[in-house]
Amino acid sequence: MKTIARDRNVLTLIGLLVIGVFAAFGVRDVVVLDLLFTLLIYAVLGQSWNWISGYGGNISFGHAIFFGCGAYAAAIATARFGISPWFAFPLGAAVAAVLALAVGYPTFALRGHYFSIATIAVGALVETFVKTQPYLGRANGFELPIANGFAALQFTEKWPYVLLALALFAIAQAATIGLERSRLGYYLRALRANYGAAASVGIDERRWKLIAFAGSAVLASAAGVLYAQYTLFVDPSSTLALPISIDIALVGVVGGIGTVWGPPVGALVYVFLAKAVALKLGGAGKGYDLVIYGALIVAIAAVRPSGIVGAAIEALRRRRAVREAGG
Amino acid sequence: MEQTIDVFAQLLVSGLLAGLLFALVAVGLTLVYGVMDVVNFAHGEFLMLAMYAAFGLALLGLQPLVALPLVVIAMFFFGIVVYRLFIRRLLAGPPEATVFGTFGLLVLLQGLAQALFTSDFFSIPNRPFAQTLHFGSVSVGAAAIVEGIGALVLTGALFAFVEYTETGRALRAVSEDRIAATLMGIDVGRMNAVAFGIGAACVGAAGTLLMLSYPVYPRVGADFALTAFVVVALGGFGSVQGALVGALLVGVLEVFGGFYLAPEIKMVPVYLAYLVVVLVRPQGLLGRR
Repeated sequence: MKTIARDRNVLTLIGLLVIGVFAAFGVRDVVVLDLLFTLLIYAVLGQSWNWISGYGGNISFGHAIFFGCGAYAAAIATARFGISPWFAFPLGAAVAAVLALAVGYPTFALRGHYFSIATIAVGALVETFVKTQPYLGRANGFELPIANGFAALQFTEKWPYVLLALALFAIAQAATIGLERSRLGYYLRALRANYGAAASVGIDERRWKLIAFAGSAVLASAAGVLYAQYTLFVDPSSTLALPISIDIALVGVVGGIGTVWGPPVGALVYVFLAKAVALKLGGAGKGYDLVIYGALIVAIAAVRPSGIVGAAIEALRRRRAVREAGG
Repeated sequence: MEQTIDVFAQLLVSGLLAGLLFALVAVGLTLVYGVMDVVNFAHGEFLMLAMYAAFGLALLGLQPLVALPLVVIAMFFFGIVVYRLFIRRLLAGPPEATVFGTFGLLVLLQGLAQALFTSDFFSIPNRPFAQTLHFGSVSVGAAAIVEGIGALVLTGALFAFVEYTETGRALRAVSEDRIAATLMGIDVGRMNAVAFGIGAACVGAAGTLLMLSYPVYPRVGADFALTAFVVVALGGFGSVQGALVGALLVGVLEVFGGFYLAPEIKMVPVYLAYLVVVLVRPQGLLGRR
């Protein structure tokens, strides 16, 4: 039995946090800080996706709607209610969790594709809903009022945003490490490995997957709040539309589903690719980004469905087995 | 009152004709699911490819009804190639791999279409069947009638193929019990490839017919695919007859939704129908559990 302090995952996380804090205070280049913020937000979104689609094994194609819940909660709290965006965390989380329960309750008792289709359908429903509501700014979106300070969750410089995103990332990673050691984690793994056996010892699939999915939705919503406070603008295409859901699934799949470090690695690949596409091929809208993302998902699914981190873990295990057999 | 009935009849006819085309798209999806347990999330993008092919052939002077057999055959072989190169590998992986793998194919094909043909809408020049026919108070575009009847004939042909031919019986055997089918000497891998080819051929036909009344653009498949998922869930995954019934229902729902609610939210009742069916009768109207 490993103790928490000696867990390699925990040590890695602490190491990354130290580097992150130094980067936030040390780096003054706004382009780098902007990349760092995007990287952390996508790592959190990928981890959120990973909870239900990696550990849970139910692939979500509508994860952006939970991100959108947080982003719109922040925008509504500040621009419409005139209250602190800190209230957007519980507000967005509540809406996201309710949506997750509405999608999950009917579908978790069924085969996996019912859930995946429902996420596409609900994603389209939410997008249509937002686009028809003047209160939500329709398709054009709306701006958040300018403010300053910790209570208003707005800063003139970028480094505080990076620190906040780093804190959220730390929470997401710590929660995932906890998930792997928890009853929920064991149950999800058991359901994925052998559904019949898991059900026969009384593991209630619907109940445990609803918990994982609600948690996943709340996490994505928190990322949405930070994102809206950072860009000070929300609209459907940048927060809750299908292309964002594709990006989130890409981050989750590429890094490695069902692993603690898959999403951060996937986010690293994604941010690098997105930047490279924007610089070399003239940005999104021309289809090159979709070609690259699609080809990457296809290649991973066909060759190594466990993703980069999954492949690395398998390689390490094999080497250890060889060493033990040899020594 | 009479006017209301007229509108109702008009909407019903439009909805049923649209539903016939949805049926042709959906039977391809449901056949593949029945035989190999794979929901092809790129099914709509296959439809999009067929539409671009029909558009290209129309530019060369081949009108859709002439081009139809060519596109169907080409899509059949395209489906077999995709199965041999890609889907077969997915089947060897974890179950999630077929879901995100075919979704990756969707993203890739949509991106390729956007990169090659831009996001512009293309319609075939000198569309045939452009006139409107009047039956009493109901007016219908000739193109919609040709599409509906063509789709009905082809769906019927597929049904007859699955029901009465040797290959069709083998396909049904595989979808009922893969292991028993193997023991009876059926080559399951070959049946998977045939089913995937037929699935692609179905959207090959549907896409070509659709060019009579609809433009093609990179995201055209997304809406039709989502409709097809709902149709298949409504009718019951794996049931060909269910797909036909589900498609007619969805066609009517969509047309009525577009008229009585608003055109931009015409899909809302369709998606809600999906959630209700999944909640109340997950095996679908005619499906088996």
